[in-house]
Amino acid sequence: MTAIDSEKLLELYESMVTMKLWDQTALRLLQEGRVLAGYHSGRGQEAIPAGGVAPLRRDDYLMYAHRGFGYTIAKGMSMAAMFGDLMANTAGATGGLGAGIPHFADPQLGILGQGGTLGSCFGIATGAAFSARYRGTDQVVVCFFGDGTANRGAFHESVNAAAAWKLPVVWICENNGYAVSVPVAESTAGRIVDRAAGYGMPGVRINGMDVTEVYRATCEAVDRARAGEGPTLIEAMCHRFRGHYEGDPQVYRTEEETERLLALDPITTAAARLTEKGVMSREQLEELEMRIQGRIDDAVEEASMAPMPGPERLFEGLYV
Amino acid sequence: MSQVTQTRTLTFSQAIRQALHEEMERDERVFVWGEDVAVYGGIYGATAGLLERFGPKRVIDTPISETMIVGAAVGAAITGLRPVAELQSSGYFGIAMDELYHKAARWRYMHGGVFTVPLVIRLPEGAKGAGPEHDVSPEALFLSASGAYIVIPSDPADALGLLKSSIRDDNPVLFFEHAGLYAHRGVVPGGDHLVPLGKAAVKREGSDVTVIAWSRMVGESLRAAEQLTAEGIDVEVVDPGYVRWTWTPSWSRLPGPGGW
Repeated sequence: MTAIDSEKLLELYESMVTMKLWDQTALRLLQEGRVLAGYHSGRGQEAIPAGGVAPLRRDDYLMYAHRGFGYTIAKGMSMAAMFGDLMANTAGATGGLGAGIPHFADPQLGILGQGGTLGSCFGIATGAAFSARYRGTDQVVVCFFGDGTANRGAFHESVNAAAAWKLPVVWICENNGYAVSVPVAESTAGRIVDRAAGYGMPGVRINGMDVTEVYRATCEAVDRARAGEGPTLIEAMCHRFRGHYEGDPQVYRTEEETERLLALDPITTAAARLTEKGVMSREQLEELEMRIQGRIDDAVEEASMAPMPGPERLFEGLYV
Repeated sequence: MSQVTQTRTLTFSQAIRQALHEEMERDERVFVWGEDVAVYGGIYGATAGLLERFGPKRVIDTPISETMIVGAAVGAAITGLRPVAELQSSGYFGIAMDELYHKAARWRYMHGGVFTVPLVIRLPEGAKGAGPEHDVSPEALFLSASGAYIVIPSDPADALGLLKSSIRDDNPVLFFEHAGLYAHRGVVPGGDHLVPLGKAAVKREGSDVTVIAWSRMVGESLRAAEQLTAEGIDVEVVDPGYVRWTWTPSWSRLPGPGGW
């Protein structure tokens, strides 16, 4: 089992706090009317992008999911560029096309982008993994998706091919219990993790609210993939604290349910571990949080200074 | 110094195979995948012999999974390869429509131009007695697929030259091949025969009337033109061969023959 020392735990904690503060900042900008894009808060699910991206090398490939921006923050994407895409201005990675679900990418960091039609990530992940092996590299692809997306037909086609060809992919399903408004029990036969057996690959169901568990499981899967032993399916059980999108009336669950979830906050759990172990005091953790917020505020300021694109932007880059 | 090269007579299908062979020889990043393309050589024989020459790393039989075939080709294209994927019938376009329309065509644009998507999707089309879903010519559906090229050769020489140019182009290309043309024979130039994308070809000069046709209808139009000669009507036949979303026709003098 992958050992997690205090230093690694602190690193993962810092990563999660960055995601949480990013999320809070994005929500504030949204309230202020400065965000033009739609936003799907990742609050509550930070352990999965933090623990799932940390095992990757810079040149490994990432297919990120739409919930929160934690995956790309952890992979090293410029925060100013991400805010620029939220504001749909020219600071964004897309140079001002950022409205809707932002589609930022950075090939230098292995960030391969995101499709708005969820499930299209599967084929692209399989193709990137094929490409890595074809070119004789030992790069690995990690593909994040939700329980809802797992029911797309593309899942079967792409996961089957990746398993048949023993490609270096790690499939990480974030099962937060709801596909937008529909509970998993009403939409999904069997357990998602059990599908792994059908494709002849290892599958593991983990507590996705525990960052160390996510990190350990992903490390093992990444090592297997890099060693040429093929893909792994990880089903990370988790909870989203907010609606599917901002403004979601959440008529499908009660307020009591949402409030109960807050006790499971992965960041609070990790903070308690750090203080119990004496790695950091409460005060030091608060100082850390302030430093991170400072970095985020700087990124917002940088992004805010960029102009909006002109209408000519619409036709730029359509063809090479 | 140009080499003296000899012309040869090839079928349309052999021309496709020749293009694949030459481009795979030239560029190791080019690979071919699709249903029954390797051992079987493709149901129209267009990929026959490639497995023997280039091996299973570069000539790959896929599962019957069109969504994956196109989606994964996009994934390979944005990470440094140059896939040539075959959909066994263009009638399967709907199974892979999200991947063709949104992913292949627009992955570059929607991500701010940070990627190129150098891939070719080969789509056999046209009536061949295979039923209503296989016998379709769906190229017009992709006229609004901004970011992609639609390329449609009408004879063996263009099949060779346009496919080679498509494989070398950094934009995604939907390459339609009329199945009724596969057995047609034609003279093909020797050497590294490239037909540039984006230029209409005047297949027959004429001064009275202009017919614009593509794919199999070019041959039909040429035959009709010959018949009309007997009636004293001089027909010009123009083959666009290639269409893209923001395409400006290379003809600027519509209407009127000779202005292409």
